[in-house]
Amino acid sequence: MLKMKNLSKVYRTHMIETHALRGFEIDVKQGEFVTVTGPSGSGKTSFLNIAGLLEEFSGGEYFLDGVDVSGLNDAGRSKLRNEKLGFIFQGFNLIPDLNLFDNVDVPLRYRGLNAAERKTRIEQALGQVGLASRAKHYPAELSGGQQQRVAIARALAGQPKVLLADEPTGNLDSQMARSVMELLEEINAKGTTILMVTHDPELAVRTQRNVHIIDGQVSDLVRKPPSLLASQASHGAGVAHAAHAINA
Amino acid sequence: MFSYYFKLGLNSLKRNPILTTLMVLTLAVGVAASISTLTILTAMMSDPIPEKSRNLLVPLIDNGPVLGYEAGKPQEQSHLPYRDAVAFLNSKQGVRRTAVYTVTGAIEPTQPNLPVTSVAGSATTADFFAMFNVPFLFGGTWRVEDDANAANVVVISKTISEKLFGKDNPVGKRIKLFGGEYQIAGVANTWQPSPRFVNVFNNQSGAYVGEEDVFIPFANAIANKKNHDGSTWCMGDKMGPGFQGMLDSECTWIQFWFEVENAAGRTAVLDYLRGFTAEQRKLGRYLRANKDQVFDVMEWMSHRGVVSNDRKLSVWLAFGFLLLCLVNTIGLLLAKFSTRGSEVGVRRALGASRGQIFTQFFVETAVLGLAGGLLGLMLTFGGLWLLSQQSLQIAAVARIDWLMFFATFALAVGASLVAGIWPTWRACTVSPAVELKSQ
Repeated sequence: MLKMKNLSKVYRTHMIETHALRGFEIDVKQGEFVTVTGPSGSGKTSFLNIAGLLEEFSGGEYFLDGVDVSGLNDAGRSKLRNEKLGFIFQGFNLIPDLNLFDNVDVPLRYRGLNAAERKTRIEQALGQVGLASRAKHYPAELSGGQQQRVAIARALAGQPKVLLADEPTGNLDSQMARSVMELLEEINAKGTTILMVTHDPELAVRTQRNVHIIDGQVSDLVRKPPSLLASQASHGAGVAHAAHAINA
Repeated sequence: MFSYYFKLGLNSLKRNPILTTLMVLTLAVGVAASISTLTILTAMMSDPIPEKSRNLLVPLIDNGPVLGYEAGKPQEQSHLPYRDAVAFLNSKQGVRRTAVYTVTGAIEPTQPNLPVTSVAGSATTADFFAMFNVPFLFGGTWRVEDDANAANVVVISKTISEKLFGKDNPVGKRIKLFGGEYQIAGVANTWQPSPRFVNVFNNQSGAYVGEEDVFIPFANAIANKKNHDGSTWCMGDKMGPGFQGMLDSECTWIQFWFEVENAAGRTAVLDYLRGFTAEQRKLGRYLRANKDQVFDVMEWMSHRGVVSNDRKLSVWLAFGFLLLCLVNTIGLLLAKFSTRGSEVGVRRALGASRGQIFTQFFVETAVLGLAGGLLGLMLTFGGLWLLSQQSLQIAAVARIDWLMFFATFALAVGASLVAGIWPTWRACTVSPAVELKSQ
């Protein structure tokens, strides 16, 4: 579904060259729920931006749902992003002067769907996150957890192949975080591939696979059989420890 | 998508209302200043008789004295002396021809309850009415024989007719005019060409206001020794005594018009003028080197300086002011759009292309322009009212027509779009990754 081969990303100024990613390899299969962890400055954000077609890469190859994205212009990348990807951000990033209905409507507008289909999808998506009755409310009238649910609804409405989540629970308290995580697991269970950047080791151990990035390279690939997931989640151990235990 | 962008544009007016108000006001003031001055200029420069303005010709020949003449200096006079006017009337040049001069006096009403009425009008010929498309309410022009016989006949204006006879048809009735008794041949309906091109300086009120109260035959006015009430140009001329002296002099005071059918007719009139002045030179007249000329209506308005250079300059200044307003608007738009980075980032992440963001923000500036146009229109009405207080002439033309109504919106939207190009471009070229990260 999402495949990067020998991918690199270099930020250049007239004084300095920074290698954010180098020789980066990843192959995410359809239906996987993958967490991406790593220390600050390791390249997680660059990876997510490139995966989300928000930034161009310097070298290597990137295939999204079989499409080689390297040859696409801005309009082509935007179209692919709209059709294949959904985004969930740590800060929710809802547009404050649009109500929930119109916020969820944004990606569908760019898809060019007719009004009836858009309405159906928006109502379904808001219903899926339990906010159908709040469609005419504005983001400022909701709690953080509810706003993140709207952001998830906005991502779901487009029926993306891959959901990219950047610290989706980072701004939420533990109860709301758990609720959002359960929602993501539910979405994944229905077949949507999810790639989630997180600092939270508890969340990392709940997913099928954890990709650990250090200095712009994948340092650890931890694959876990689903049977282990529940017990690891209950231990609440750090990602590194969990990965070490499984590898040992 | 346009309706979606338009809706977003309307929503954005509510966002940051102080900045929005400033932008709308800036645009509106600039547009109102430009449209107000432009309205007056275009009205003043408009063609008063577009259906035939190219076929109505004023002859201009220089009969000034040689003494004190400097070659190349434009001639001062714009009218004809009596003798040349008569010669041209008899020339059979063009399809019609007429001479005009201003006469003033009074009408003594037969009804005892009505006061004596002062009137200003034209002494002219029967061709006048057909040449200048004067509409009639009752009756019509006098007969050609009336011109030849210097008959006491008159065409009165609708205003005078209603004053004297109410709504009745007065044709055939007699009135006491200029001390004589005149039979009414017709009642001219409202006829107020703007500018009053036929004899632009024949009225104290100027070129844009008022209308003729009465028209009498040219020959009748001459026979009754009716003096010209207006500018008369006499230079180095030895004029004899009395009215006859005036008729025999080289003083210029009669406005003359030919009507032709086409460009060939114009050439024929010009050839006639050249032949005429060549003949007159043999008699010791027309010794200056200035060329004989003919002007059509719009050329004549320009030659006579109906629209002053100050008036044209004021339009340039107003558009200069609009330019300043635009620069101001660019700054305000930059400020407004700079706060929208996160929205651009989100929209880009959700699938908007750079082009779609550009279109969205561009439509938003157009909506701003529409709001500016609406307020600008109101300010234009206010501006025109202020300008109309300056003089009766400006008051007569300070009216907004449909063209200017739409021009106000077109200018406001166009100006906002021009002002919006750079801020919009900046908004759509932000990096979505950077904007999303900064949240």
